[in-house]
Parts: sequence; C-alpha cells; structure tokens
Amino acid sequence: MMMIDRRLFQEIDWVLLGLVLLQALIGVFFIYSSSHFLAGGYHVRQLIWIGVSLIVLIFVLAIDYKFFVALAPYFYVMVVAVLTATLVFARFVAGTKSWITLGLMQLQPAEPAKIVMILVFARFFAEYKSAYVRSSRTLGALLIAGAPLLLIILQPDLGTAMTFLAVIGGAFILAGLRKKTIALLVVAALVAGIGGWNLALKDYQKRRVTTLVNPQGDPRGSGYQVIQSKIAIGSGGLAGRGFMKGTQSQLRFLPARHTDFIFSVIGEEAGFLGVFIVIALYLALLARMFLSVSHARDRAGVYIIFTASLLIAFQFLVNILMIIGLFPVVGITLPFLSYGGSSLLTSFVACGLVLNVKMRRFANV
Amino acid sequence: MPEERIYEDLTLVRRRARTVFWIVAGLVLLALSYYWKVQVLDHAKYLKLAEANRTRVRPLAAPRGLILDRNDVILADNRASFKVSIVRESVTDPAASFTAVSRLLGLDEKTLRERVDLHKDLPLFEPIVIADGLGSDAIVPIESRRREFRELVIEAEPQRFYPKGSRAAHVLGYLQERTPEEVRSGSAAARAGEMVGRTGVESQYDAILRGDDGSVVEVVDSLGRVQNEQGHNFPVQGGTVKLTIDDRLQALAEEALEDREGVVVALNPRNGEILALASHPTYDPNRFITRFTPAEWSQLITDPLSPLENRAIRGLYAPGSIFKLVMALGGLDGGYVTPATTVYCSGATEIYGALRHCWFAPGHGSMDLVDAIKNSCNIYFYQLGRRMGIEPIAAAAGRLGLGRRTGIDLSGEKEGLVPNTQWKKNALGQVWYPGETISIAIGQGQLQVTPMQIAALTARVAMKGREFHTPHLFLSPPDAGGPESGGAVPFKASAFESVIAGMWKSANDGGTGQGARVEGFDVCGKTGSTQVMSRESAARLAQAGREVKTHSWFSGFAPRDNPRIVVTVLVEFGGGGGATAAPVAGKIFAKYRETEAK
Repeated sequence: MMMIDRRLFQEIDWVLLGLVLLQALIGVFFIYSSSHFLAGGYHVRQLIWIGVSLIVLIFVLAIDYKFFVALAPYFYVMVVAVLTATLVFARFVAGTKSWITLGLMQLQPAEPAKIVMILVFARFFAEYKSAYVRSSRTLGALLIAGAPLLLIILQPDLGTAMTFLAVIGGAFILAGLRKKTIALLVVAALVAGIGGWNLALKDYQKRRVTTLVNPQGDPRGSGYQVIQSKIAIGSGGLAGRGFMKGTQSQLRFLPARHTDFIFSVIGEEAGFLGVFIVIALYLALLARMFLSVSHARDRAGVYIIFTASLLIAFQFLVNILMIIGLFPVVGITLPFLSYGGSSLLTSFVACGLVLNVKMRRFANV
Repeated sequence: MPEERIYEDLTLVRRRARTVFWIVAGLVLLALSYYWKVQVLDHAKYLKLAEANRTRVRPLAAPRGLILDRNDVILADNRASFKVSIVRESVTDPAASFTAVSRLLGLDEKTLRERVDLHKDLPLFEPIVIADGLGSDAIVPIESRRREFRELVIEAEPQRFYPKGSRAAHVLGYLQERTPEEVRSGSAAARAGEMVGRTGVESQYDAILRGDDGSVVEVVDSLGRVQNEQGHNFPVQGGTVKLTIDDRLQALAEEALEDREGVVVALNPRNGEILALASHPTYDPNRFITRFTPAEWSQLITDPLSPLENRAIRGLYAPGSIFKLVMALGGLDGGYVTPATTVYCSGATEIYGALRHCWFAPGHGSMDLVDAIKNSCNIYFYQLGRRMGIEPIAAAAGRLGLGRRTGIDLSGEKEGLVPNTQWKKNALGQVWYPGETISIAIGQGQLQVTPMQIAALTARVAMKGREFHTPHLFLSPPDAGGPESGGAVPFKASAFESVIAGMWKSANDGGTGQGARVEGFDVCGKTGSTQVMSRESAARLAQAGREVKTHSWFSGFAPRDNPRIVVTVLVEFGGGGGATAAPVAGKIFAKYRETEAK
C-alpha cells in the first residue's frame, strides 16, 4: 500500500506541488530577512520543516484518501482526546493553552484537528446526495464540529476557531443551504456573537476588534501591531526598500515578523510588486486547488478538495487583511510562508489531500 | 437509474465549489487594490512614519553666551558638567531601581521619584534628568558602576556658571529648567531639561544668549535603543552680552550695603548706562543650576526678606524727602515760589487745623528754597504744598518720570504710584482731602516709587532736564547710541539751577547729605527718611520681627557742572537718610572717581 504505482505517480499535479514549494521557499527568504538578527536559525528550522512536511505529504499521497475517510471517526476521537489533554496539561504560553510539548518538539494539536475535520466532513456528507441540506443534518454536523471547536475556543485560540468555522461553513455551502437554514444560522451567529462578545471574549480579544475600528486608540497596546504593520507595508512603496533593508522589520518595529506578519515584511522589502507576485502565485495555487473539484471521482473527494482549499484560502485571505488593518489581529498565519512547523505541516497535508484526490480520479476501487 | 452509474452526478457541488473560489478570488483582488492604495498612493505618508519611527533627534545643548561687564570681566560663564538621566524603559523593577539609584547618587528617594514623575508624560525611552551639575569627581563612582545601572545615561553638558557667585545676581537673573508645559506647547527648538532665563539679563536677552542647540540624528530600534548615528550638527554657542555694569563699582555697592536690606543704583546720566545695581538680600544664581532640594527652594521663596526680588525695580517705597526735589521744580516752574521766597520754620506749624512738625524740632528759622533743600526742611515744603495743591504736584511728579516704568531692560519693573484726586476717586471712591496734599509734599502718603525711578529722576535733574536716557544694562557699541531716550523735561532752566544749588549745599555745606561728600568731586544730593512703609513692607517687617525704623534714602550726582554719575541708595529701616544712606553713596562716588582717574 505504501508503494505508489507508476501510473499514479504520473497523475500527481506537479504544477500545484511546485507552486506550494515556491511559496514555501519565498517564505524562507523573508523569514531569514526578518529573523537573521535573532538567535535560533529560524530559516534553517523552516527548511527542515519543509523537508519533513514533504515527506509527510508523500506519505499522504501513498494512501488512497478513501482509507483516510474510512478512518475519520477514529481520527476524530483521537483529536478530541488530544485537545482535551492539551487543555488539561498544557502550560499557559502568551495567555493561551494551545501548545503541547513532546520531547523537543512543540505542537499545536489544533492544527492536525483542521485536517481531521476535513476528513470527518467528507465522510459525513459523502453519501448525502440531496440538493439541499436538511435541518437534522445541519444539527448533526454542528454537533460533530462543536466538540473540537469548543475545546479550541477554551484554549483560547480565536484564530483557529475562526478557521474551523470557515471550514464548517464551507461544508454546509457545498451541501447546500436553504434560505431558511441560512436565516437560522445568521440568527445563531448573531446570538453567539453578541453573547460571545459579552461573555466569552477576553478583554484583549475585544480590544483587537475595537482596534480594527480605531488603531490609534491604543497605539502602544493592541493597536501597535496594526499601526506598525501598516507603516511597514506602506513604506515599501512600489518596489520595496530592498531585501533585508526594511527598517520596520530590521529594527523590530514590526511584531511577529517571521510568523503572522511575514507578509508585512514582504510588503516592506519587496514592495507592491512583491505583494502582487505573491498574491498572484497564491491565486494560481488556490485556483489549481479549488478547480480540482472537476477531477474528483466521488462526493467525498469533492468535499476533501473543497474544504482543504477553503482552509488554505481562508487563512490566506484573513492574514493579508489582518496585517493591513482590515481584519482584527486574530493570530492566523499565512500558510506556506509564515514560520512554524505545525502550520506548515497542516498546509502541506491539506494540499496532499487535494493531490491525493486528484491523482486517483481514474482509480477503480 | 442515474445513481447506479460508476460516477455519481457531482455537477451541483462542483459548481458550488467553483463559485466559492471566484468569491475568494474577488475578495483577494479587493484586498490587493487596498494594498495598492497603502503602498503606492499613500506611500509618502507611511515612509515618513517609518522614518519617524526609526530616527530620534537627540539635542546637543548649546553653551549659553557669556555675560561680561563693561570692562570684559566675566560675570556669567560655562563649565562642563555631568548629567545623569534615567531611562524608564530600561528599568525592570522600578522599586528596586529607585532605591539603588537614589543610594548611588546620594539622593533622597522621594526627591528622585518626584523628579521622574514631573516628566511622566514623556515616552518611556526618553531620558529624564535626575541629577546634574555634577563635577568630574562626583561622576567617577557612578561611571565605574555603569554596568549595574543600565537605566542610567550619563552625559556631559555645558552648564551655566557664575564665577563671582551672587555678584550682580539681580542684574544677571537666574535660569530655570523649562517646565513640561513649555516644552509641550513651545517652539520646536524647545528641549526637555533646557535651562532658560527666568529673570534679569538672562531672561531679557535669552534669545541672544541661548545659542543654537546642535543635534544628533540617531537610528533607533523599536525599543528606542540606538543602532547608529545618521547626522551630527554641532551646537553653536550663544552670543556674548556685554553689560554697562562696572564690576568694581558693583562689588563695592554690594559690600557697602553691609548685609542691610536695600538698594544701590549707580548710572551715567549722560547715556543711561547702569554702572552698578545692587539689591540685598541676594542669592547665588549658581544654585539654580545645580538644582535646589524642595526644602531649599521653598525656604528661598518664602523668605520674608524676599532675596529673589530685585528691589531696585520691584521695591515700592515712599520717596520721603527726596520728593522735595519734585516739589521744588514744580513750585518754581509753576511760579508758586521764587528762589527768593522765604519761609520761617519754628519747628512746627499748623496747617488745615493739624499741627505739623519739622524733623528738626528747634526749627530752621527763615530760609529760601536752596536752604530748604539743603536742610530738608519740612515746614517750607508744607507751605509750598499748600500753595500748589495736589494736581500740579502730581503733574510735576509725572513729568519727572514717577508713576510709570523707567523702561529699563529688565522685566517685572513696577510703576509705583503718584496719587491725585482722580486716582483716589477711582481707586478708593473717596474725595481728596487737602491734608493729604501736605503729606505728599514731603514724599509721604500714598506716594510709591522704586529706587530706579529715583535714580532716573536724579539723572534728569543732573542733566538739568536737557536730555534723558532710559536706564539700561545692555552696553551698545559706542557708535550705535543707547536705547531710545525720553525727551527733555520742560522745566525752566533756572528751576534746575536752584534745586542743584540746594543739593550741592546739602552735601558740601553742612546739609543733610554731607555723608556723601567727596573732596574735590562736587557731589550734589538729597537725603530722605520715610516715616511710612507700604503695607507689604509692614507685613514683612512683622514677620522678620524687626524694630520699626525709617527707610533711609540718598540720591545724588557728581560732579555738579559735568555730571557723570548718579548714585541712588536706599537702606530699608536704615534710620535717617543722612546717617545711613549718604555715606554708602559717598563710597560709590569716591570709588568712581578713583576708577575714572586710572
């Protein structure tokens, strides 16, 4: 089963894989630029993570996605267990309990949970053939998604929780929502939103939202990141200030330079041209991923391709809006480019699933 | 049945998936257009913000200009001093840091906190001055422990230094640090911790003395830590201010007061140049530079004797018998008396139903105006006052510069007061009583003058009203001429001759001013002893627990025919003017003559 047969090997979408690797390498350059003055060799570590992610991706390709879909319930139970354990055992880091330490490695269990949700939804909707989803199904899907989502909200990791919601919403869109259901969900979202604002959101999270409206309100506090990021991007101009020459990133005015705000570094040092190129490459990648739905041989495949693509697309969109002040700072990374092993691995596996479905379009099982 | 086919019908879900992609793509393009706006359209704005972020301008203090006396003796100089500032950003544990720093600097911890709190609005990376004026010996122990105190910044700075201590302190004035309000609201040139002139010449000519601060443009990181230097403008020292003061006369004037509260003013009536201006008690302006402790400061400003006040321009006193000069000029000029008019003094007389005494109980006998001035006879001037009435008296005083500022180049000068009917009606809502005129006639009542006004008045008399020059401290180049001069005083020349004759006799012919006599220098003068004191003076007196004595005046000039110096002396509670003030003036006249001879 581990062997990939020759015919399948030819079916791999090399263009998609190439785009992924290209993005990841661009990321390494700017990780270097924004962290070379720090100890830790982040660019080297990122390269190692790219290698690891590639190996995992090959592993994912080797196994028919149907097998993963079949195992989805087990993965689901495991993920819920690990998320629960994280809440119990993890220490607070920067106000959240989202990291667990395994030996030398630090992992964010919420990241693999995203992949598991892709498989769970694929399984849940695979045999569902109606044009529109019924309320009972909706409720079922919400209950399934609810457990891990709640555990992530409790960490609290607002960014990942939002990404989760996007994936869930995407699955519903695909399954087909009636107007009545949409109305119901909107009301539910409003109630959850208002209730969440007043009851669940921590003060720092509320500040992030109010900061979006008025970043100058608290320039030294939560508004600081957005202001500095916008200054970095704006000062880049058309052609950028040059590789490793951005004052905002080199003099550390920019927060989380090599992680969440890596795109600000690109904006500052490579200018609008750099921004344009990265966004164009990204759109090409997303098109390649989304439009692969035409090559899925079954419903589960369509769901996998769609939710995996949406996972990447949502994080990309939120990240590029967030760093320029059009969205609250919620701690969502830029897939493939931001520094971070868990995030990189998840993104690669998501792509791996898309490739997996696409290369097995003619497989007769 | 379609469901039986190998490939199920996925058209619907595929279409939905594609739709979502196009929505995502549309949103991304919208985002890209916003990036265009921020990066290309608003580029200049953000570039400026980025530059402001990374560069910090650190001002380099310019040394203040020198202040010299007329013979180039340095009165205000600069010396290197070290300044210790604290950068709150680098403080990890404020409590421990304050304790350690206060011990290191030998400062009271509370004082240290107060100094820091005064500037708490400044950004955290801005250094706040906590100790300065430190000499190199004081800085060595601090410098040697730099590594333990990363929050401290040590800088060397030029600092104002007054080599002669309190000499001419009221002329020079003092400096104080700009307040945070001034820094915030002031011009761009304002620099935190900058010392600016608050009083005296330091304040009046601050624009000349200040110089241009230099600056270093530093590149800093997000913590405000300096990465490197981008530009360096060296500071330019302020311009030199040369004063009309003669340090030798100034020294003598201060010495001659012998620790009594009082004023000595010496000026040149030909051009208004002030040769000496002493006001006692005084202070050491160096103490303003090295900072007071709050206790020292509050002691200084609550001192009942007000050492910070320049009594020469801010002290208000009744002129006493000095005012008889005004009476004589007004009386002669208005034809109320002639030089030949005589009055008999029996020691007392009854005017408007009240018995008025002369200061000389046995009486002066019959005398004319010249002798009345020489003897400072009250009876003569009572009679003159009765003849004149208040309005002509007030007019004469006004024409001689009383009741308004002399215009000296020092700020805070007071106007004094020449009362008349209209004033009393406006200020007190009462009618003028003729009896009050009689008090005014001998310089008492509500009359208030500053010693500088009396010096200026004496200068007018010395020059016989022909010319008058505003008293001033800034020595102009010889060809530039002095500050604008008041015009001639329109009194008859003969009136001046009589008054001067009386003043000459006062000093040289057994009059009240003979203490000021200098052999061969033809001193002319007038004494005064004020029986009344202003309300403030009375309060001050009570606080100081003094026995009540009259203020002692002398004002005169020399020599009679070619006057070159006017000396005005006031000694608070000095007793009779002839006994106390005149000898002080005599010393100044003698010293002047001696320096002139050299």
